[in-house]
Amino acid sequence: MHDVRFSGEEILARQLKLADTNYRRLKEKNVRAISVLGAIGSGKTTLIERLIARVSARGLSTGTIAADSAGDDDHTRFLACNVASVNVNTQDECHLDAATVARALDDLPLDTLDLVFIENVGNLICPADFPLGTNTEIVIISVTEGDDMVRKHPKIFAQTDLVVVNKIDLAGAVGVDPQRIVSDYARLNPHGTAVLTDALHERGIDELARTLELECTNTPW
Amino acid sequence: MHEYSVVAELVEALLPQLEEHAGEVTAVFLKKGDLRILSERALKNAFEIVAQGTRLERATLEIESIPARVACQSCSYEGPAGTLDDDGFHFAVPILACPECGSRVEIRAGRELSVDRVSLQTAVDEGA
Repeated sequence: MHDVRFSGEEILARQLKLADTNYRRLKEKNVRAISVLGAIGSGKTTLIERLIARVSARGLSTGTIAADSAGDDDHTRFLACNVASVNVNTQDECHLDAATVARALDDLPLDTLDLVFIENVGNLICPADFPLGTNTEIVIISVTEGDDMVRKHPKIFAQTDLVVVNKIDLAGAVGVDPQRIVSDYARLNPHGTAVLTDALHERGIDELARTLELECTNTPW
Repeated sequence: MHEYSVVAELVEALLPQLEEHAGEVTAVFLKKGDLRILSERALKNAFEIVAQGTRLERATLEIESIPARVACQSCSYEGPAGTLDDDGFHFAVPILACPECGSRVEIRAGRELSVDRVSLQTAVDEGA
């Protein structure tokens, strides 16, 4: 028996390289990319719709990549916001990867865009290990997922810098205290930012847009 | 269940690198950082399935955990990440803030996912 030693090249090196290529390509075009992760039904699409409205009001041009295992429901909603959108069906794959995003970027008019939102497949866990090449990542949870949501996924939230706690209008109806989610998150990530929203009714969206620095300058990023 | 995707990348990347080495692969030793969101059991199950029909078919996947290490951006601390040992978590969760002063940190270790070494058995080994 003998061992062959390896120099420690990352298994996901190919993914990291592809993500880096996406990052450089977007930077070269001066396009900011924000990815949105969260479980099924956490409110990713509605949140993106609201943010699109904010940046469109500033005269900025947005594109979206809508990923789902099947269908084009989210894509159709984004098109209704008058943005360029690409629909990606992952066909039962539980996460987007950088290669899929690269192909989707091919189909977006990057020369004319200021911002791209990438909505990942509804899934909190699996996308975490697959970098896409975006500048900013939002993890969204809904109060309907329970106020133990953060405690149940501590390693994810310990590494997440921006958490949106959505559907706070439903907190009373489902017996959830949003502040418990926020305080659990603060213990796991003392430098993270949590924003409470009710995206459907436009609550908290201004604060989120400020946190994302979508509104604070006259020129794009 | 993204472990399958990870293992598929592993097998695809490893096989060409083993072409220059003769023998039967008996074990693949993986280093996995504690900050990774990957189940060891799911990785091993996926490896059994993905390796079928390849030279890795009879190999076992051995996983070594690498603890998170951080470097503080404010004070001089560099060392193991602090952990949150909450009874409810059942394991210590690495916290990405300086355990000494609470400032922001850079991750120095804990995100690894790499092949450390591969064990091979050749006819010479058997004869020895």
